[in-house]
Amino acid sequence: MPKRSPAVQLDLAIDALLVALQPEPEPNPSPALAQLIPIARALSDLPRPDFKAALKSDLQRRTTMNEATAPAPESSRAAQFRRPNFPNIAPYFLVKDAPQFIDFLVSAFEGTERIRVPRPDGSIMHAEVAIGNSVIELGDANEQYPQRSMTTHLYVPDADATYARALEAGATPVYAPTDEHPSGDRWGEAKDPFGNTWYIATRKGWVAGPEGVLTVQPYLHLRNAHDMIPFIEAALGAKATGIHKSPDGIVRHATIEIAGATFEIDEAQGESQPTQSYLHVYVPDTDAVYAQALTAGAKGEHAPYTAPYGDRAASITDPFGNTWFLATYLGEAQP
Amino acid sequence: MAVRRPAQRPAQGADERLLVQNAQSDPAKFDVLYELHFERIYYFIVRRVRDRATAEDLTSEVFHKALVNLGNYEWRGAPFSAWLFRIAANALADQYKRASREQPSSDNAQDPEEHPDLSSPDLEVIDYHAHFFRLVDHLPSVQRQVIRERFVEQRSIREIADRLKKTEGAIKQLQFRALQTLRAQMEGGHA
Repeated sequence: MPKRSPAVQLDLAIDALLVALQPEPEPNPSPALAQLIPIARALSDLPRPDFKAALKSDLQRRTTMNEATAPAPESSRAAQFRRPNFPNIAPYFLVKDAPQFIDFLVSAFEGTERIRVPRPDGSIMHAEVAIGNSVIELGDANEQYPQRSMTTHLYVPDADATYARALEAGATPVYAPTDEHPSGDRWGEAKDPFGNTWYIATRKGWVAGPEGVLTVQPYLHLRNAHDMIPFIEAALGAKATGIHKSPDGIVRHATIEIAGATFEIDEAQGESQPTQSYLHVYVPDTDAVYAQALTAGAKGEHAPYTAPYGDRAASITDPFGNTWFLATYLGEAQP
Repeated sequence: MAVRRPAQRPAQGADERLLVQNAQSDPAKFDVLYELHFERIYYFIVRRVRDRATAEDLTSEVFHKALVNLGNYEWRGAPFSAWLFRIAANALADQYKRASREQPSSDNAQDPEEHPDLSSPDLEVIDYHAHFFRLVDHLPSVQRQVIRERFVEQRSIREIADRLKKTEGAIKQLQFRALQTLRAQMEGGHA
């Protein structure tokens, strides 16, 4: 093998520091290279300049608006724009037989039906099923919103028991929960009778945030998944964390946070081909997010409006074909 | 990385006391203290949590609490940073407790009682890294961009090459030179 240049050797060593799928660093690095490895390690802690500037700006705003003595925890801000009991980015399932889908969610995942809004013809316009600490929304598919096969990641206390219940409720096995999954979690996979994929996992060694792991997280398999990260950051003010890339830049997995709730992405491959999802996310300011999403390249589906149930709502389609229902809770005092 | 004394240290003694008094009488001047201490607090936190997002949340919490409680701060001769580190240590201890509650059986669960370094941070190491972070701001602009894209955004060489319209080999060279420059500056020499 031809000898690698110092710059290439250094980059291999940096890859080993930064990515999960690590190439082997050059064995016995030269003394000059060895001196640079600690520098690279220290750089992995480098703060984001955008974060430093944003925090400074936030602090300045508080002082200039005489807010310095008022508490400013994220939790209180989150509570203001997020509908109560709605902590997660909700997958919104539109299926051909919504009542049966509710039965499946209740049986398979010990869901609790909490809202059902029927149409005059008996079909379901909107329903919500609580699962663990999260919520799933659904309705009967129609011409405007056809059925889509979506993928959802469930964190449950006992993946084996939930997997078994899902099969009893009519799901088709893909593979039973195993400790050998690359995530390190105990993880199994099943498909429901409506064509949706469910990752059923019990967490090991992952902490989502102060409120604990959210039970329900949408999971998007994307073509060119790396393009989703800058888009969603610019469009919805998201923050990507835990990005694991292969050495050639393919996103193997990333968790993306929007206003305190999360979804996951990876590069579509093998059986996990790209699908489009419906997602419902609460944001601090629907109007502002809608405008910035269009600037970032989203297609506007429904301009912001005040919904009768008390949310400021809008919808967009991202460049990957996913539909995002944006919402800001206006509070009980609103119509 | 061997720890050496940084070329610039935060304001000390009377200077720092004056800066604190200025901010207490005019909170708009808190940003001077923020600029002096941001990197130190961030480094103190990021070395003790798992990920960048948590480090950012806790750093934000520390400075917001410091701003809110600045009026209660009394100068007793200790550096202002000691007060900030105490706020940061409390924020970290709370974070550890939350992690322990969520993950009681994990080896990763951390008991604040088992972390004496929270109450006695190694100031020399912290100052060293804070200085190091600031040196990145003074790299030539293209090198600085490569370093941030690579280490902060964790982009691959190929992605960075596409974004900067350069070859992958050129990006690797820029990365190499940037690290050489930083090492030389931290060692007090010339790149």
